Amino acid sequence: MSDQVILRVATKIIVPTILLYALYVQFHGDFGPGGGFQAGVIFAAGIILYSLVFGLRRTQKVLPSWVARLAASTGVLIYAGTGVVALLKGGKFLDYSVLAHDPEHGQHLGILFVEIGVMITVLGVMITIFYFFAARGREDL
Amino acid sequence: MTFVADALSWICLLGGGVFVVIGAIGVIRMPDLFTRLHAAGITDTMGAGFILVGLMFQGGMSLITAKLILVLGFLWFSSPVSTYALARATLASGQEPFWSEDLEIPDTARIPGMVYPVDAMGEADAESGEEEE
Amino acid sequence: MEILVDFALLALLAVTAMAVVRVTNLFAAVMFAGIYSFLSACLFTVMDAVDVAFTEAAVGAGISTVLMLATLALVGSKVTTPQFRITAMSTKVPPRRPIFPLFVVLVTGGILVYGTLDMPPYGNPDDPVHNHVAPHYLEESGHEIGVPNVVTSVLASYRGYDTMGETTVVFTAAVGVMILLSSLRGRDTYGQEAWGDEKVQDLDVGFVDAFGEEMDAPSPKVGRRKKRKRRKKGGRG
Repeated sequence: MSDQVILRVATKIIVPTILLYALYVQFHGDFGPGGGFQAGVIFAAGIILYSLVFGLRRTQKVLPSWVARLAASTGVLIYAGTGVVALLKGGKFLDYSVLAHDPEHGQHLGILFVEIGVMITVLGVMITIFYFFAARGREDL
Repeated sequence: MTFVADALSWICLLGGGVFVVIGAIGVIRMPDLFTRLHAAGITDTMGAGFILVGLMFQGGMSLITAKLILVLGFLWFSSPVSTYALARATLASGQEPFWSEDLEIPDTARIPGMVYPVDAMGEADAESGEEEE
Repeated sequence: MEILVDFALLALLAVTAMAVVRVTNLFAAVMFAGIYSFLSACLFTVMDAVDVAFTEAAVGAGISTVLMLATLALVGSKVTTPQFRITAMSTKVPPRRPIFPLFVVLVTGGILVYGTLDMPPYGNPDDPVHNHVAPHYLEESGHEIGVPNVVTSVLASYRGYDTMGETTVVFTAAVGVMILLSSLRGRDTYGQEAWGDEKVQDLDVGFVDAFGEEMDAPSPKVGRRKKRKRRKKGGRG
């Protein structure tokens, strides 16, 4: 069983491409299909592929489970925080027009932050659920 | 010029569809997982290749063609790896390939007049056995 | 002519749904569920809803299949041959004849279908759905928001509050999974990751072992490090 070279090499080449594609989908959500949900899921799929081939211990060195849990809540914080910042700047809750000097730029900025928040939450949630399933009750994982 | 591009893309798309159907028939008709993987590989390489080339002719020289070339490259990179992983997982889980000595062709499936290697192998074993004795 | 594609996809969808229910091997049922998600993603693409098809393909055919396989791997105790973990431990028991549930389902389905006969025709431009807010979104999105993708502008700006609720629901799902599965984990390992002593040969676990982790005991260095941390805290106090 020691000839997993093919899988390891192929995974080393494919996983960075998957992560880059997730970021591409995230930031091109304004111009084509995409957005936060798809980007978070694709990023999590890349991490899960890495974990399937290299083992759960190594994946938790890269993305420890406390980081995944923190990410799940940070995304919601970013999203609600954008709304609160809009409140503090004088507009309504989640009214992006007041975020910048110009309503249209404010909308762009608001959509950018909000989609980043969605992506971080979805990523954290998928990785957390996967870690819980894959650890199968062992205490040190 | 667009007529040539359209005709080529028609031919490629139809050819890709034919290969996909061939792959599907192979997956259904093959006796064992390993032979089925071999048949499914036709869908991934020839079928997907022809369909994507046909779409490239529709796209012309643009960003879309570059993206399709990248898609084809990743498909051709990852599908043999996944075939290998599947075959290896099957072997590791204890399922052995279907050796042809075990193959029993029912009489309704035989083509009349054709010599099957399974029968010839049985005869050769019988002959060598008789020679040894 | 495109309606033939719709017919073919919907027929395949029905066949796959029947197959998910009728197949006895749970592994095959998980695979059929993945195929179902893929077919609905194709259906969404045919209906020109590419964003939704993207999400459905990624979540349904990707993550959901992996998580269901993880569930299959969790069921049952450790056995020597991995094959038995997935197939023999998970064959379903054939059910008894459920006559009354079938009757209830048929009556409910019949009432729902009768309700849909009252709906306006699909895609009719005089529908209330197309005349209330949708024209405002489609026409004003260009100069109010300036983002070319109308789906993103509706999702993130016009209906941003709903998307915040959606994100919170996803987060709540994670919290629910953590609460449900925490009894399996034992000790809380917050902040104490498994920094095992890794050699390359450690990775040689079978690919069939569904998540690639070694089934041996944890390496001794992990326990040692935890004991050191407790001693330091006792020393300061």
